[in-house]
Amino acid sequence: MSRYARVRAASGAAWRAFVRRRVAVFFTFFFPAILVVIFGALVRTGAGGTGLFVREADYYVAGYLAVVVLQTPLSRVSSEVARHREGNRFEKLATTPLTRAEWLLAQTLVNVVLVGVAAVIILALVTASTGASPALSPALALAVAAGTALFCGFGALLGRLADSQDGAITAANAVGLPLLFLSETFVPPVMLPAWFRPLLSLSPLTYFSRAARTATAGEGAGIALAVLVALSVGFFLAGALAIPRTD
Amino acid sequence: MDAIVAREVVKRYGSTVALDGVSLSVGAGEVFGLIGPNGAGKTTLVRALTGTTDPDEGEVALLEESPRSVGRDRIGLLPQAFLPADRLTARELVAYYAGLYDDARDPDAVLADVGLTDAADTRYEDLSGGQQRRACVGTALVNDPEVLFLDEPTTGIDPAGRRALWGLLEDLAACGTTILLTTHYMEEAERLADRVGLLAGGELLAVGTPAELIDEYGGESRVEIETAGQSTGADAADAPQLAADAAPLDEYTVEVRGQGLVVRGVGPREIGDVVDALATASVEYESLTWAEPDLEDVYLNLSGEGDATSDSRPREAIAGGDHQ
Repeated sequence: MSRYARVRAASGAAWRAFVRRRVAVFFTFFFPAILVVIFGALVRTGAGGTGLFVREADYYVAGYLAVVVLQTPLSRVSSEVARHREGNRFEKLATTPLTRAEWLLAQTLVNVVLVGVAAVIILALVTASTGASPALSPALALAVAAGTALFCGFGALLGRLADSQDGAITAANAVGLPLLFLSETFVPPVMLPAWFRPLLSLSPLTYFSRAARTATAGEGAGIALAVLVALSVGFFLAGALAIPRTD
Repeated sequence: MDAIVAREVVKRYGSTVALDGVSLSVGAGEVFGLIGPNGAGKTTLVRALTGTTDPDEGEVALLEESPRSVGRDRIGLLPQAFLPADRLTARELVAYYAGLYDDARDPDAVLADVGLTDAADTRYEDLSGGQQRRACVGTALVNDPEVLFLDEPTTGIDPAGRRALWGLLEDLAACGTTILLTTHYMEEAERLADRVGLLAGGELLAVGTPAELIDEYGGESRVEIETAGQSTGADAADAPQLAADAAPLDEYTVEVRGQGLVVRGVGPREIGDVVDALATASVEYESLTWAEPDLEDVYLNLSGEGDATSDSRPREAIAGGDHQ
């Protein structure tokens, strides 16, 4: 009960602080929408070989979802860790009953809700504008939640390494961009050099892409989802341990 | 029982020695003030005592346990330069921290204690600087701690707000809360602290009651005079020296400083001697101020940051004007 109350207090404060940042709220949900419009409706493969996409529209649904699963928690948590450190908030929290894992759990819950809403928007938009027909399932919801938790932990690690909020955001972008395109999201493995393909397995986002793709295809999520969940636990724990106290 | 104990605590950051063998003890219910220049090690000591940093050497005990073992509900901390989450109202901010404890105080009661009842629904970023600091102090009070650490709690608060907080801290102390506070305001340490420790260069140079420290390190009471000239036609620049050489000041230590002079060892009943000396030398003066030593003099004398006389706070302005 105590742990629940602490996480509720922390997540409630984080949620209120976020939703009152109107610009941040707008772009959190506008970004995936504009992404779908640009890539799904404009850049997609057209008749006569036009467009950039080589696969059917359903293939790219996992990529659109990967954008928010990766970028939202990675940038938000890394910058939040930097912001907390700059304001000596972790020093303060270290003298309260709230543990570092509970703090990260609170941040993760907020991000899961945000990413979940963004994912619903994406699924609605791709269905309406690209001709894709993604299947909805508990496996897909679990993949989104696990992926978000994974990159919350990853963000905490980046926040620990960055020396400022600006540094955290820069690091999140520097890490996020290559991951986004080299994780079986928008670029099918067959388009990459053969020697590079084994490296795709090193990206944690790859397992989200695979899990989300099979889930939206209505085929469950299989081993990829299991790996994703295991990775999310590992990254979450590593992130919780990385959260600084003071020094 | 000692609520806080540090024994030979050493903390280094690379080649910088932040704490160099600091030992102190603070009794239960005591208010201990920690003063010292910037970079003296005050915040590092607070961190070592609260368990948010680990000493390289030495031992720390908080309520007879290691700082990280002691129940979190028994201690409270206001870190230096604490910046809580913005976009929360004062009530939401205090309620957030209250929500982290099983048995927390009513946030509205805490806000009343820190004088923010009327601003309870104002967002943190819209509060004045003093109100923001008071809200931060409130976050350290939500669990009604047995030991309260306040790292520069009144920095940025206006005089009225500062005095309101002093009243609150005095009430907490009266109820038995052990308080360790760091401050740059000597008046604050002198008023609130049962004992004061002066930290400089990572070393605790002196510990005692404010009166003990002033007696031992404060120096003598003194009169400071700013001269305006010499009425008999001598060069105005010579006025301070003429006054210093006047017979009534033979028994005192006199120091000429530019267009002024400082007469040391002058008690309140001996101020007339100084006035007589100025009259004897026909020296006109713009101001004459008597000052007794205080904690600021102790701080300046021991920290080596300045001269006790030049920066001391005047206690009683005696007169101003020309002596004919």
